[in-house]
Amino acid sequence: MDLYKIKDNEPAWQSGMSKNITFIVTKDCQLACKYCYLVGKNVKERMSWETAKTFVDYVLEHEDEFREESVVWDFIGGEPFLEIELIDKICDYLKLRMFELNHHWFNSYRFSFSTNGINYHTSEVQSFIKKNREHISIGITIDGTEKKHDLNRVWKQPTADANGLTQPSERGSYKDVVKNIPLWLSQFPDAGTKVTISSADIPYIKESVLHLYSLGIHQVNINVVFEDVWQEGDDARFEEQLMELADAIIDGGWYQDYACSFFSEHIGKSLDPERDNQNWCGAGRMLSVDAAGNLYPCTRFAQYSLRSKKALIIGNIKDGINENLLRPFLTLDRITQSPQKCLDCEVASGCAWCQGENYDAAQTNTIYERSTAICLMHKARVRANNYYWNKLYRKLELEGRREEFEKNERDVKPEIC
Amino acid sequence: MMQYLVILLDDSSVSYCHCDNPHKEHHLIGLDDLRAGILYAMKQNLMIQFVYPDYELPQEYLDVIDTIDHHDIVPHPMKGDVVVAKDLETLTSMQADAVAVLRIGKAELFASGEAIAAILPKVQRLNIVITDIDTFTDDDLKQYNSLLSRLNEVLKEEYLTGHTPQLNLLTDRMMLTKPNHCNAGVENITLAPNGRYYFCPAFYYSNPDDSIDPQAIPNQQLLRLDHAPLCRHCDAYHCRRCVWLNRKTTLEVNTPSHEQCVAAHTERNAARQLLEAIRQKATFMPEVEIKEINYLDPFDVRKEW
Ligand code: SF4
Ligand code: SF4
Repeated sequence: MDLYKIKDNEPAWQSGMSKNITFIVTKDCQLACKYCYLVGKNVKERMSWETAKTFVDYVLEHEDEFREESVVWDFIGGEPFLEIELIDKICDYLKLRMFELNHHWFNSYRFSFSTNGINYHTSEVQSFIKKNREHISIGITIDGTEKKHDLNRVWKQPTADANGLTQPSERGSYKDVVKNIPLWLSQFPDAGTKVTISSADIPYIKESVLHLYSLGIHQVNINVVFEDVWQEGDDARFEEQLMELADAIIDGGWYQDYACSFFSEHIGKSLDPERDNQNWCGAGRMLSVDAAGNLYPCTRFAQYSLRSKKALIIGNIKDGINENLLRPFLTLDRITQSPQKCLDCEVASGCAWCQGENYDAAQTNTIYERSTAICLMHKARVRANNYYWNKLYRKLELEGRREEFEKNERDVKPEIC
Repeated sequence: MMQYLVILLDDSSVSYCHCDNPHKEHHLIGLDDLRAGILYAMKQNLMIQFVYPDYELPQEYLDVIDTIDHHDIVPHPMKGDVVVAKDLETLTSMQADAVAVLRIGKAELFASGEAIAAILPKVQRLNIVITDIDTFTDDDLKQYNSLLSRLNEVLKEEYLTGHTPQLNLLTDRMMLTKPNHCNAGVENITLAPNGRYYFCPAFYYSNPDDSIDPQAIPNQQLLRLDHAPLCRHCDAYHCRRCVWLNRKTTLEVNTPSHEQCVAAHTERNAARQLLEAIRQKATFMPEVEIKEINYLDPFDVRKEW
């Protein structure tokens, strides 16, 4: 390990050049997390092998329409590992067909999973990992300390309600997840975890990130929810937490080998209307399929992810993609969807949005109305971030290490979702 | 800025644009709604365009209509400022000083090249509205191209003899130096017989629940050209940029379908040829320049981020 190399945030694998294709294999999960954006989680909708196979055939046999250099085959739920048998079969078939078709993705693919970690140790999951070791990335979601994690990530009630929808219980899941962390890290030492912050989580941010570091997780990808959940004063509390976290990371020397995505040199600058006009979100450049065989620009447009709008379906596995329905996604830019305050904003860089949440929250049925529910939170983050870098640079300066740091610093593009 | 108010006088008022009017039953707008619409237009300084059904209106309606300056959009054989033909045949007997509108499907259009060529010298202005433009295929484009070439021949001869009939598909682009879109919801709105307002008649015809409050249109900016990522860079100035068709085909009012764009660019390129052909013989519209381009769909040359 290079002691003087500051750990920066990891870019996503082949980000920019890869196609992200997601199988929503199940809408079921063992947990019923209180912040979960999946409002329609249920035990009924599981993908069949026929649906998965037809979808794979459609994608691989239309190589011309999928020209990206590489592919990430993403499996999500609910909890994807509830369907490990199906996933194993899909992955075997994918490998076989990519080989048989001499597909340009054959040597450039990855299987990716976001899991709650509960089934990680099971023999089915473990043998799948062994079989596909070189082509897998797995993120386990753990929210921080036991208290923080169990605040939201609770087991669901043993039985679903009359509509087949799952309801939360009181039982936290921390212990069931954390027991699998050492095994996970031994297999994926560079793996990161995703943490999502909602209003009630703010007081736990510092201790949670430090706790995750202490578990050996080097990369903590953390973001605030895009939904309009914020209370008055949350921004000040958030800023204070982040400053305390900044102090702890710098004073404790964690910055040398651990990263937290809250702190980035790329955020908090004004943006040029011409040059910096790109869409933040990858919806439309990704593709998702659900159990019914419907195709979506991103999983966030499936009905179970939407509170107040109808699913935005762009095709199905039999007829393929309706290219006209993709056009709005592929032409969407920052300027067209942003309100004037964002165009004039002096700290706009790094202020993210989710096209699905924009759609869900919009006054009309459009993806072109940017939700700015995170505005005050982003501004608070920028202030704490400025503090972090000013403090860190001063420390490096005094230690005579600043120049070395700047030389080694990697240029990391912001990650698209 | 809002400039026009379209008032559909009856549920069965004639359609003059892309969307068919599914209503066959007569159902007049209420007199009070009509009066309120006129008052609204007076206060907002809007020019009214009344759209008529194919039967004679009661005298009390005619009296109210007569209280304000307006234009009339009528079905053939009524007299008005804009007359909508029932079919190709009725086009031949149109009043000479009106704008003639022909709503026609692509198959019939492609089969009617000679008939339209024969009519062109007799009209002042003809608007051809292709009612199934969203179904254009590559093969349709070839046929469309040859139709437009044929009509170009006629138009060229007419223009060189000093008679300048207008055909929206070809001569509009030849005359324009800036966009001239439909601008429903931005420059014009529609009052329907149910007393509610809509972006345009098509929104009423396709879903009466799509009404709007004209004083507070949510996301109205998305109807404007500066919020249309493809169209704001496009020089198919004559294109209607129909926000109803956009929404129908792409779910977004500000994003056109592939078919819409290639049809409009086929017209644009044909207009360019017409302009060149006329200029070979005479000086004509020197301020207009239509560049040669190598695409038919601006989506294919969009800036990729
Ligand atoms: S949401 Fe707020 S912080 Fe973000 S770009 Fe807009 S004005 Fe700036
Ligand atoms: S041709 Fe297409 S891009 Fe151009 S104005 Fe018409 S709809 Fe818009």
